[in-house]
Amino acid sequence: MSLDFKRIVIATLSLMFLGSLLFVQWMEVSRRRAETGEAGAHIAIPDSSRQCVDCHMQNTMGLVEHWKDSTHAESGVGCVECHQAEKGDADGFEHYGAHIAVIVTPNDCARCHPAEAQEFMASHHAKGGNILASLDNFLAEVVEGSRAPFDPHAPTPGLAPGQGLVGGKVNGMASAISGCQQCHGGKVAFVSTDGGHVDVDDLKPGADGKPTSQEALARIQRDPTGKPLLHPATWPNSGIGRLNLDGSRGSCSACHSRHDFSPRRARQPENCGKCHLGPDHPQKEVYEESKHGVAYRDLIHDMNLDSDEWVLGKDYSAAPTCATCHMSANTRNGMKITHDPGTRISWTNRPPVSLVLDTDVHGEVVKATDPAERAKLIEDTAQAKRNRMRQVCSHCHNDSYVNAFYAQYDEFVVNYNEKFARPGQALMKLLLDKQLLTPAQFDEEIEWSWYYLWHHEGRRARHGASMMAPDYAHWHGMFEVAERFYMAVIPQARELAEHAIANGKEAQGKAVMEFIDELLARPEHRWFEQQKKH
Amino acid sequence: MSTLARWLGERVPLGRFDIKELTNEPVPEHLKRWWWCLGGTPAYLFIVQIATGILLAFYYEPSAARAYESVRFVTEEAAYGWFLRGIHKWGATLMIAAVILHQMRVYFTGGYRRPRELNWMVGMCLLVCTLTIGFTGYSLVYEQLSYWGATVGANIAASVPVVGPWMKTLLLGGEEYGAQTLPRFFMLHAAVLPALMICLLVVHIALIRLHGVTDLRFRGDESKPPKPFLFYPDHFYTELMIGLGLTVLLAALATILPATMGPKADPLSTPEVIKPEWFFYVAFRWLKLFSGTAAVLSIGFVLFVMFVWPFIDAAIRKYTRFAEASVWIGIAGALSIIGLTVWEAAVAH
Amino acid sequence: MGGALVAAYGSAAAVAGRYLFPARPAGKRWIYVAQVASLQRGHALPWRTPSGERVSIARVGDGQSTDDFIALSSTCPHLGCQVRYESQHARFFCPCHNGVFSPEGKAVSGPPAEAGQDLVRYALRVDGPLLYIGLSERQIASAGQEA
Repeated sequence: MSLDFKRIVIATLSLMFLGSLLFVQWMEVSRRRAETGEAGAHIAIPDSSRQCVDCHMQNTMGLVEHWKDSTHAESGVGCVECHQAEKGDADGFEHYGAHIAVIVTPNDCARCHPAEAQEFMASHHAKGGNILASLDNFLAEVVEGSRAPFDPHAPTPGLAPGQGLVGGKVNGMASAISGCQQCHGGKVAFVSTDGGHVDVDDLKPGADGKPTSQEALARIQRDPTGKPLLHPATWPNSGIGRLNLDGSRGSCSACHSRHDFSPRRARQPENCGKCHLGPDHPQKEVYEESKHGVAYRDLIHDMNLDSDEWVLGKDYSAAPTCATCHMSANTRNGMKITHDPGTRISWTNRPPVSLVLDTDVHGEVVKATDPAERAKLIEDTAQAKRNRMRQVCSHCHNDSYVNAFYAQYDEFVVNYNEKFARPGQALMKLLLDKQLLTPAQFDEEIEWSWYYLWHHEGRRARHGASMMAPDYAHWHGMFEVAERFYMAVIPQARELAEHAIANGKEAQGKAVMEFIDELLARPEHRWFEQQKKH
Repeated sequence: MSTLARWLGERVPLGRFDIKELTNEPVPEHLKRWWWCLGGTPAYLFIVQIATGILLAFYYEPSAARAYESVRFVTEEAAYGWFLRGIHKWGATLMIAAVILHQMRVYFTGGYRRPRELNWMVGMCLLVCTLTIGFTGYSLVYEQLSYWGATVGANIAASVPVVGPWMKTLLLGGEEYGAQTLPRFFMLHAAVLPALMICLLVVHIALIRLHGVTDLRFRGDESKPPKPFLFYPDHFYTELMIGLGLTVLLAALATILPATMGPKADPLSTPEVIKPEWFFYVAFRWLKLFSGTAAVLSIGFVLFVMFVWPFIDAAIRKYTRFAEASVWIGIAGALSIIGLTVWEAAVAH
Repeated sequence: MGGALVAAYGSAAAVAGRYLFPARPAGKRWIYVAQVASLQRGHALPWRTPSGERVSIARVGDGQSTDDFIALSSTCPHLGCQVRYESQHARFFCPCHNGVFSPEGKAVSGPPAEAGQDLVRYALRVDGPLLYIGLSERQIASAGQEA
């Protein structure tokens, strides 16, 4: 072997060595990348949940992957920490060595987040389930469906004889279950041994959430492993005012979607848009039309949505989302988040006639008119609430601007209240009092017209004004309110009155006619028939 | 430049020719055969082991509480730590293999015969050092297997008659594996044995230089005049080629079969199967065949025979007719070593 | 040849240099352990880090501050056996070689005391109703993830 040949061999081997070192470097770099890039590398799977994760990674990997992206996973809060049940809980069962429950209620979340849970429990959100006992539900349960199951006209596709939740009959509650209750929250129930429901009213939970009725407990149907069966008409349900088996109300996952509980998502308007949209309260659409929503869409990359804290004026100031104004922390309020969005709202535009949100100790609107009595009852004034909202506004707008906005908003609401809502409400009450309407709701055309007026169009108008969406304030709002009032409510009321007069209820009919004439003679309505009379 | 050279030449009175003289010893032609380059191989690997060993020692903590964790840190967190540990681990394996091959070459070519008996004995010392350094190094990881390997090793030492218990106490730094044991192993592995090996290597190489390499004549070459060639650059290049080839091989092994972490040592649970590193398979199998003191003593006896073999061989050659006996004995020995190793590797217990 | 040699061994030296350069700072993260209210004074909560190391967490005071809690490794610093808390003697005991530690983790007798090795103490933090433990990234990585 010549020396030169040896040199060439040595050079070649050196290059091979160099190549192998480069390969090693590549391995090192990709190893580092895998370490820092893998979501899994940063999370802490608590020892207590390791088994859960292993098994559910096979069965329901999406759920586990979601959890792995959560702050919970980062801080070592695993499955058991939330799903654990105590002995004596109605819904607890043994699951591979752990005593757990399926549904995580605000009581469970409160173990670690007591302040948040308390604020939430005090909010109107938590009372969303009250609708189940209200007249509104009549629409879904009676008008749209049927409280009693009924027979199909003939064998019907999709419902085998003897099958379904109500033994082969048509479930008339379907609309309420899939509609109302998915936003407002349903009443969670077990299947009872006779196929019915065992819910919170039967279990009568004490302050600790444990059932006091042994009889109800015994009626719960369980599978062979001892797992209680949740009634499929009541679960799944993540409605915000859900009535839980432990007596708690609400569902934190309504906004903080399981299982990643992403603060990022809760900060975005789409999250509220699960419920706050549509013909009756299009808050999300209103927001999107507003300057606020437009700015958000454009500047979403400046919103710092991923930041740990999300304080307006500190972490971001590009645009407000629903959460910014109604819930989130800002630099002027001591950086305090609230889980009761009602604490910054000064008008309630929910009822036919908007009310000023002076609330009592229970958070209910004080309706008393006597000033002394009001002063006694009011715990938190609408002005205080508005001042909290002003703290948010003030991050971008000066005082005079904010004051002028509120002046515009207040006067818009008052105009709606005074021109259409209060007269309309009085007219409907008069028709009912004079027995020109049956007590049943929605069985007369004028009831539909009036409902449209305040529940859909009137709210659209008020929400449009409250959040700076002119098209909702006007075209989708007041324009349609006016049309409904002049072209439907008034003529339909007159028709009812004329019909009454013609059918032996002359006095009642005339009273209504007089009311309408007086109303239309008022200056704000005079334009309507002034020229027709001449 | 010349000023600097002069300045340096004054302080280090070593001329260019002196350096040439020192490094360029003519080497016999037969060294051009690859088989004769095996002596340089363990030396090169020894340098690799020293370099990577020093780097590993930067992070290693020799205590029962921290040893495993620090090895894990090197393997998983320190940049390139996994690679360096892989090189060190595979370097050890290759070094032991190279030492054995080198020794076999010397043996079968009779390189130990007069006047080189002493260098053979130095080489035997180096072999024992290499095996011991392999054993202590393996134990430092504080894995389940290395812990129990060390425990078994100490118990074997204890079965040596008379001095056994004393040796065990000395090795473990107490009656049993304890807080003193790992620092001891670490000192042996990282300081005492390497220093000893360097001394032995100096003697080993010095003796080679003083005697010169045996000039071998192969059949058919006897009549030709000797054709020695220069150590530098010719032989040096050969060694360098081997070294680089080994380095590439090491890098490949360290990446393809990286050093991993076994379960951490648990003094309370003995693993089902305890196996030492492969180079102790022979002894391990032997111990299983002839339990206790007999096995230990026989291994000691074999080592002693190997140590003094040049003199035994000389006696055989002088007083018997079997001049080639060493070859047959060597083949028998090598085959039994291979046989016992394969046997141990093939079975679980 | 020379260039190739220098490049090869040079980059090997660079690898060594990078290896010696300190790895990422040992970041500590606060990991949820339990609710403060669930820990009774005088009782130790056996807990395991996500990586499987055993930790004994006890309440030593009635207050709500970090000082009212203590978290000690259950791994004996002597040889890595698992110590257990003996409430009747108010001590941690290692069954391997009779190592004894005080409730504060100080080695009292046995091999650990001779070597002056106390139980490793973990940092704790009380945040509202919750108790957190400070763990390194490695202690957070689950055993399964390392494989």
